[in-house]
Amino acid sequence: MLNSSVRRILAILAAIVLPAAALAEVPRIPVLVPVTGYLSLEGTAQRNGAIMALEADASVTFEVSDTGTSPEVAVTAMRRALRNTDVGVIVGPILGTQMLAMLPLAEEYQVPLVTISGTAQLTEMGNPWIFRFFPGDAVTKIAHARYVAEDVGAKRPAILYQSTAYGQSGHARLVEAFAALGIAPVYEESLDVATKDMTATLAKAMAAGPDVLVLHLHSGPTALVVRQARAQGIDIPIVAGSAMHQPSTAALLEPAELKGVCAESGSSPISGGSPEMEKFAADYRVKFGNEPDAFALAQYDAARMLLAARHAGATGGAPLRDWLAGNAFEGLAMTYKSDGKGNMAHDAVIVCYDGESRVPRIVRRYQGVDGGR
Amino acid sequence: MELLQLAINGIALGAAYALVALGFVLTLKATGAVNFAQGDLVTAGGFLAVALAGLLPVPGILLLPIVVLAMAGIGLAVATLSWWPLRDRPPATMFISTIALGIVIQNGLNGVFGAEPRAAPPLFTGGHVEVFGAVVARQSLAILAVAAILIAGVHLLLGRTQLGRMLRATAQDRAVASALGIRTGAMVMLTFALAAALSGAAGLLLANRYFIAPTDGGGFIVKAYIAVVIGGWGRVGGALAGAMLVALFETIVAAWFDQAVATGLLYAALLAILAVRPRGLFGEATGRRA
Amino acid sequence: MSGRLTRWLARDINAPVFVLALVLALWTVSSGDPYGLRLMTLAGIYALATIGYQFVFGHAGALSLAQGCFFGIGAYVAGMLALNPGVGVETTLPAATLAATVLAALVALPVLRLHSHYFALATLGIGQAVLLLAVNWVSVTGGANGIAGVPSASLLGIPLGRGWPMLLLVWTLVAAAALAARRLTGGWAGPALTLMREQPQAAEAAGIDIGRLRLGGFLLSAGFAGLAGALQLHTIRVVSPEVLEFPVMVSVLTIAVVGGRTSVAGAILGAVLLVHLPEWFRPLQEYYLLAYGVALMLCVAIAPSGLAGAALSLRRRLWTEPSPPLPAPMPVPVAAAPACLEVHGLTRHFGGVAAVDGIDLVVTPGEALGIVGANGSGKSTLLNLIAGAERPDAGSIAWGGRRVHRLSPDRIARAGIARTFQAIKLADGLSALDNVAAGDWRGRDLTRARGAATALLARLGIADIAWQPCGELPPGIRRHVEIARALIARPSLLLLDEPAAGLGAAERETLGSLLMDLHGDGMTLIVVEHDLDFLRRVAGRLVCLSGGRIVADGTPDTVVRHPAVVASWLGSPGAAGGADG
Repeated sequence: MLNSSVRRILAILAAIVLPAAALAEVPRIPVLVPVTGYLSLEGTAQRNGAIMALEADASVTFEVSDTGTSPEVAVTAMRRALRNTDVGVIVGPILGTQMLAMLPLAEEYQVPLVTISGTAQLTEMGNPWIFRFFPGDAVTKIAHARYVAEDVGAKRPAILYQSTAYGQSGHARLVEAFAALGIAPVYEESLDVATKDMTATLAKAMAAGPDVLVLHLHSGPTALVVRQARAQGIDIPIVAGSAMHQPSTAALLEPAELKGVCAESGSSPISGGSPEMEKFAADYRVKFGNEPDAFALAQYDAARMLLAARHAGATGGAPLRDWLAGNAFEGLAMTYKSDGKGNMAHDAVIVCYDGESRVPRIVRRYQGVDGGR
Repeated sequence: MELLQLAINGIALGAAYALVALGFVLTLKATGAVNFAQGDLVTAGGFLAVALAGLLPVPGILLLPIVVLAMAGIGLAVATLSWWPLRDRPPATMFISTIALGIVIQNGLNGVFGAEPRAAPPLFTGGHVEVFGAVVARQSLAILAVAAILIAGVHLLLGRTQLGRMLRATAQDRAVASALGIRTGAMVMLTFALAAALSGAAGLLLANRYFIAPTDGGGFIVKAYIAVVIGGWGRVGGALAGAMLVALFETIVAAWFDQAVATGLLYAALLAILAVRPRGLFGEATGRRA
Repeated sequence: MSGRLTRWLARDINAPVFVLALVLALWTVSSGDPYGLRLMTLAGIYALATIGYQFVFGHAGALSLAQGCFFGIGAYVAGMLALNPGVGVETTLPAATLAATVLAALVALPVLRLHSHYFALATLGIGQAVLLLAVNWVSVTGGANGIAGVPSASLLGIPLGRGWPMLLLVWTLVAAAALAARRLTGGWAGPALTLMREQPQAAEAAGIDIGRLRLGGFLLSAGFAGLAGALQLHTIRVVSPEVLEFPVMVSVLTIAVVGGRTSVAGAILGAVLLVHLPEWFRPLQEYYLLAYGVALMLCVAIAPSGLAGAALSLRRRLWTEPSPPLPAPMPVPVAAAPACLEVHGLTRHFGGVAAVDGIDLVVTPGEALGIVGANGSGKSTLLNLIAGAERPDAGSIAWGGRRVHRLSPDRIARAGIARTFQAIKLADGLSALDNVAAGDWRGRDLTRARGAATALLARLGIADIAWQPCGELPPGIRRHVEIARALIARPSLLLLDEPAAGLGAAERETLGSLLMDLHGDGMTLIVVEHDLDFLRRVAGRLVCLSGGRIVADGTPDTVVRHPAVVASWLGSPGAAGGADG
């Protein structure tokens, strides 16, 4: 790990020192993602996925720039990227509030923004420049609720969600999806990311008599709830949000603690399923020294669709926007096609852990959930 | 039984927070300034434990001495970088310098270890025991015991040893201590080492049950700050009581209210305490503070 | 021409910093690329927030951690308003400024009386509470997602694009703010604020209402922050709880420390530098913030008093400037008719000990009263009670028939009672002249105050040190400066707490003559002193305190021979040296 960091620093220093003119002919795709701050886990996965795809194609190059955690920094990073007049497309951050701030600029400069942010609002602003390659909350939360209702057979879910943009946006969709299935949650609580002890929350949730715990939390808090629930002998099923599918979340827990835990996600690259998927996971491990997650895969697919568009003659701006809006792309995780609003991903999966390993199994696929394809 | 379980968890959490608050208050008394990197030192200690566990697969209790010693060394480095060049400046200068240091630590950890939360090994073993019918994590009891021993050790060091007397004299009035022939510069450096060691220990204790991520430092420093002010600026015992209060809000008050409401109530309580007792719940130990 | 330029550079602290900021600004903006414009616009926004922050942090000396909160409030208010079609910056900016100021006024009462770190934490707590509200009150604030889709800004119906128009709007407001700040903190307010920051007790005793100044500083800082927050909203057109989180506060605080705590030019340069600094390290990717942190630490270590302070000391090294000429002396008229001081049953306990225990004392106009007594006999406490620095537990003090024992020290000072302190309280960074001028709460005009101060320093025979910083003066002269400050307010009663302590024989002689002169002009004097010879010369009446009570009262000769006085005197270790504890 140290070695790869050192190598990366050297490569970066070399990039500063060496004249950039040599690369001037090749267009640079800005990859604006959070690689510092509380979303840097997801942002780094995004970056890695984009790098995997873009490095494999000599016709483009890319530049990674941090967006941190505030819209202000994201807009500055985008302004910086837009200095180059030939910017045809921008890979945008997973953080919804940052994307919301970047949308008006994308429209002004006529640059498509490609992201994996799940925030529902992004594709509801009537902005034709956004393309979302991860199933949005409107997709994943329907799958989440349907799995809870149809496969777990639960009637009395208790919902714990994060008091962040991610959490509140997902919670709203989750409650809607449950309502559509005729289910009313028996308990709902919003948790701050700094909350360490979940005992009190779990006690209150259990007092409401739920038959399933539904989580929509970030990585660390998801693992905290699972561990503390199991420790308190709470053995009802837990169906978590996509954070639970991340290998780094599972790594925090013992396999036994993971028994009866499921999670929604866009995909699960480490679960295999096809030779291509296994090759992706293996290459990713070699390149970055850790396990790929659905965010990395979605960004990988997104970048590959951009390359496909490029080879079809749509290099940027309005032509690229129209190509992305009008074509389907067979990615590793799923088939991507716009619903007319920029939602490209319409499938979700449910993965479950068997209690013996930290690699989950895909137990259900929901295709075209929002009817957008 | 549930309340007992909540209380034990809360007190264990409070004990770990108390270590952070203690380090915070010791530095504060010695320098008159806030070390804002104290929370990031907790994170650093946690990640040090994670890294050591990768090399030495032993229980956390055996890693503790290594973490404590290494963190003491880091504390000396912190003092050299952020206090020594600014020792004659207004307190806000060191405040900024330690904020910058916190940025360095946080982003250094993020770069080297990555952003994902990590878990350190348990102090002894994982698992749970029943105490009067309540299910309690062994780690919680171990945190409580180890923190109590460390706090008692600091108490003895400060109260019963020659070194402790010199440290206290320096904290009370640096000019007078200097006139008495105490090498106050060295004493302040040692205070930083002690504070960093305590924070590092807290990091190791917390990083098993509650995991640790590079961005966690901010949460710890706010909690330590609140604990120290509620307890009375510059009082060691008050800081412990303040830390317990903060942790109990997080566990027991949260058992009746939403987390957000419980956090809101903590701030409301803080402002109410300051409105009624402008110098903290337990008063101020030293008369004046810059 | 070059002579004038040199003089300008030499005279004005801010000039080199202004020049540097201007060069930096021209350099970034000259390319005209949107990124450069964006950074300079952002720098302007932070400069505005920091100029405001300097009122409370720099001038009032209070470490407020609520500036980010006021900034965020401004952004939210502007965002909610701008969502309505047709609402331009002519509405959003004043509304945001007002909203932040109102919030500051609401929290000011409980918060402003807190000291140092308690104040810091209380303001931090307010910020956290507002953040909690913004995240959880979803129906109003949009929750954690915030408010998006704010239309681009307009001024009186004219659309303001991003880039140049926004840059010009922001920097016009920065220039206006800079002028306002210089007006508000220039002149007499400059030395008065410095005295308040460095020696709050002395400032109060000099008649300065520090509560009002602190409140003013707090409200101004909030207003400027609200305005800056509204401008930030218009540049990014979304608002979310991140704007209320700690990084905004940290940025403003850092700019103030790196730029300079009280220098407007420092705030501007600091903002330009701090906004650009992380951008320079961008190619380091995830390590760029680490590099930023290191650069920040270096910056603070190399220039701990800020870039403005560093520029000042550099300038002092390059140009050895002659002291400016002394201002023309202005007469200091003696106050109006002196009043009678009546003390009845005055009592003050500390813990279980009665420091002052039922004292009755009447001081008639024009009297010169000496107070003697052993250490801990209650002399200083009595003076503090009269001056309002302590509140009595029982009893009353009347001044000219008006009860004053519940008044704050500054109001007592403005009623005509001035004082000096046993431990001299001067602002070390200020010149002797300005330390004295700061006490002229009546005139509030720096030129006149300095003129009067010159006259007083000349009368005390120390006009030659008028421009020297007080930190460099010997104790004897410092005592004279403090007396001069007490006199500039034209008091009719002067309280002196061991004025002769630490003075040589010649200095005591001068001081004695001065007090005789003042007494001759009709001023009432109360002098606490150990030096009996000094008191015999100055005072017409002596009281002796012991255990918080008056044990002897009369002419100096009778009191000195009083058995109780002799007994307490012989037992006092302070009798010879004159250092009270």
